[in-house]
Order: sequence, then structure tokens, then C-alpha cells
Amino acid sequence: MLDVRGLKKVYEGSGRRVEAVRDLTFTVGAGELVCLVGPSGCGKTTLLKCVGGLLTPTGGEVLLEGRKVSGPPPGMAFVFQEYGRSLFPWMRVGENVELPLRQKDLGKARRRELVRDALESVGLADAVGAYPWQLSGGMQQRVAIARALAYEPRVLLMDEPFAAVDAQTRADLEDLVRGLWRERGITILFVTHDIDEAVYLGERVIVLSASPTVVREQLKVDLPVERDQLHTRVDPRFAELRTHVYEQIQAAKKGVVAS
Amino acid sequence: MRGVNAALGAAGLAAFLALGEAVPRLGLVEEAYFPPTSRIAEALADETADSAFWTALGDTLTGWALGLAIASCAGIVVGVLISVVPYLRAVTASTIEFLRPIPSVALIPLAVLLYGTELRSVLLLVVYASFWQVLIQVLYGVQDVDPVADETARSYGLGAWARIRHVLWPTALPYVMTGVRLAAAVALILAITSELVIGAPGLGRRIGVAQASQAVPELYALIVVTGLLGLLINVGARTVERRALAWHQSVRGEVAV
Repeated sequence: MLDVRGLKKVYEGSGRRVEAVRDLTFTVGAGELVCLVGPSGCGKTTLLKCVGGLLTPTGGEVLLEGRKVSGPPPGMAFVFQEYGRSLFPWMRVGENVELPLRQKDLGKARRRELVRDALESVGLADAVGAYPWQLSGGMQQRVAIARALAYEPRVLLMDEPFAAVDAQTRADLEDLVRGLWRERGITILFVTHDIDEAVYLGERVIVLSASPTVVREQLKVDLPVERDQLHTRVDPRFAELRTHVYEQIQAAKKGVVAS
Repeated sequence: MRGVNAALGAAGLAAFLALGEAVPRLGLVEEAYFPPTSRIAEALADETADSAFWTALGDTLTGWALGLAIASCAGIVVGVLISVVPYLRAVTASTIEFLRPIPSVALIPLAVLLYGTELRSVLLLVVYASFWQVLIQVLYGVQDVDPVADETARSYGLGAWARIRHVLWPTALPYVMTGVRLAAAVALILAITSELVIGAPGLGRRIGVAQASQAVPELYALIVVTGLLGLLINVGARTVERRALAWHQSVRGEVAV
């Protein structure tokens, strides 16, 4: 589904050369929910923007369904961390969700239907006429998720989407994402710096090294598909996995080479 | 609080008008050059009864509105183009900085040479003065586009035109509004000035005629009219601004969530 091969990104500017991503290779299968986790500042966002076609990699390539990504591909949607800046304050919630659909060749009735359906999925059906800034942070991020859903992407890229919301809202949103993933069978690549979140959400966790970034470890999360905040988080297996990822990240920070 | 402020404002204006009445009557200033308020009001009433006054007002407003419209459209189009086309901003920056400070009135002889006392003379001066007001604001406004908003638009496959329409334009709109409001005030100044100096038809020329014929109260009455015009234009521009920018932080205020 999604192939990342030898991805490399070097930023050059004002006499400084920063190698953000050195050499990344991984794949995400169709319908998989994969979490990318790594120490802060390890180029996770850079990586995701390269995958989403928002940045041109310095080397290597990204393939979506066998086709090289050279710009934002139509089958992909992006959810940003900064929901407040990603939603347009001059548009109502419904218009925000509908805007990307206007670029597609869809009838007005179909667009309406998609908008309604997407907002219902995130539990905000009655916010269609509100402005984003009239909603709480968690609700705004739900709108951003609804906008991505309405776009009917095959791959959903999420860049630390819950980093800026409070803990309770965050738990709700995590369950929402898992629910939507199961319901709709979308392929999700979810970037986070939160180890618990990565293990709780993902079917697979890819641990990245410190910058310049390479893949340090890939870990299958063998927790049951049915997860909930109460029981999953106290499951001994959950504790084992999160400890393991935690150790990997600590080692990555110290620059120890993975065994 | 609003009612109190309005009452205080009205009281202040009344006091000012009363002062204007009392000072000449008490002989503190020469009445021939500073007629009392009541004389000015009388002259104003006479003016409004004269159809030539209304024609002059219409001429001034035509020059103002046409000039402002041309300057605003040109300022917006040029501003967006300069910002969107790579390198164009750097190429034009120094030229803009050179042309912008030239006072429009310095172009009066040129306008007369080109167009004589026609409306086009007035338009040349009005457009030149107001164009920069709009252009500079548009250039600032476009720079204010949030990179996250722009990346969002790009990630959803919005093309260049759709991004200008849905991201760049709404972001720049508050600046455009400010630019147009400033330009509206400048345009009025230039419209009156050019009529006065060049003799193009309008309130400015009427003020010149009043001066030449020593009709001092009429002179004041016409000045009051130009002041009222300026006031109305500013109020109108602010109303439009508030309506168009209801979503903007400066208008919507704090929202409880």
C-alpha cells in the first residue's frame, strides 16, 4: 500500500546543513494502523510531510499503491497537530469539511452527504453551522478528522494530532480513531511522541532513532483488536510492550545502536 | 456605557458649536472671516437649496468613487500577483519604495498637461494616491498566510487558484479592508485638492469660487460638507469591514467555549 524506500531529507539554508532524515525504509499494508514513535526532534514531521507529498525528499522515494508520490496524492489525507491553524476560521465547520470535496468531481448532493456522514462519525453533526473558533480544542480536532474522512482517503496521515489537547479529550479521540479505523478500513499512519498512545493505538509500532533518523525497530502490537482505555492500559502485555518501546527510545536518545 | 458615551459626544459637539457661535459674536475674532455657527448653518441651508451644489457634490463623489474603485482593484490584483509570482516581490520592492512616497499633488501639473480640467485629471491624482495604500496592505496581508493553513490546502489537492481564493484572499482580507479604508480617506483629500487647484468640476472648485467672491459663510459651509463626507466615508468603511470580517479575531472578540 504505502512503501517508503531509502527516504532521506536534508535541509540546507543559511550556511547550515541539517540531515533530518537519513535513511528510512518501511511499508504500511492496506488497512493497517501503524504508529511511528521516536524521540522528540527526530524528524517525524519531516518524514510524514515527505510521505504526504508536502516536502520533496532529498533521496529515496515514497510509493502509494505502486505509484511514486511527487505531490499530495488524491488518495491521501493529512491531519495536522495544529488544528486551530489547519481549520479555516473564515469558514463554518460544514464549509471547512466540504472545501476539499469541491476539488473532486462530485455533485452537490453527494458532497452534502459526505459532510453530514463525516461529521456524524465524529459526533459533531450539529456543529455544521458553527465557526471552528466557537468550538473547544478537542472538537476542533474532531472537525479536522471529519474533513479528512469526508475526503474518503485510502491513507490517512496523522501528525501528532492529539499533542495539544487535554488528557481526557485525548483518550476519547484515541478511541475515536481506532473506531473509525475499524469501521472504515482506512490505512492509517499515525505519528506520535507518546509511547503509550503508540502502543494503545497501533497494530504495529515503528520506533525511530534520534536525528538523523533511521528505523530502529518495528514491533507488532499483539494486543486484542478490541481495546479500551480501562482494560487495555492495565493489560500486562501492554505494560511489557510500552516498557520495551520506552527502553528503545531511551537507547535511541543516547545513540546506542539497535541490537 | 454606550449610551453615556454617545451623550458625552453629543454634548461635546454642542459645546463646540456654541463656542463657534459665541466667539465671533463677542468680537474676539473678526466676524467677516470667522462667521458664527448660525451664519454657516444658514449658508449651508442655502447651498442645499441650490442645484449647482448637488451637481458639484455628485462630481466630487464620482471622482472619489471611481478613483477609489480603480485604485482598490489595481492594488489588490497587483499586490496578489507580486506576492504569488516568485521573485517578483524582490524585483519590485525598491521601485515601489521609490514611487510610493511621491506626493500625489506633485503630479498636478502633469495631470493638467495630460487631461486639462477633465475628470480624468482628478482620477489620475486620486488613483495614484490611493493605489499605494491598498497595495502595501495587500502585500502585508499576503505575507500573513499561515503555513499550516497553506499546507492543509495543498495536502487536499487545492490548486494555485483555489488556494488564492480560499486561503490567501481571506487571510489578506482584513489588511485589504484597512487599505481600502485608508485609501477612501486619501481619495477624498485628493479629489477635493485637485478640483480646488486644477478647477475640475466639484466641491473643490466651488470652494475656490466662494473664496474668489468673498463668500465667507459659504466657504465654511462647503468645508463642513467635505468634513461630513469624510466622516460618512469612514463610518461606511468601518461598517463594511465589521460585516465582512465577522469571523476575524479583531471583530469577533473573545468567545467562550
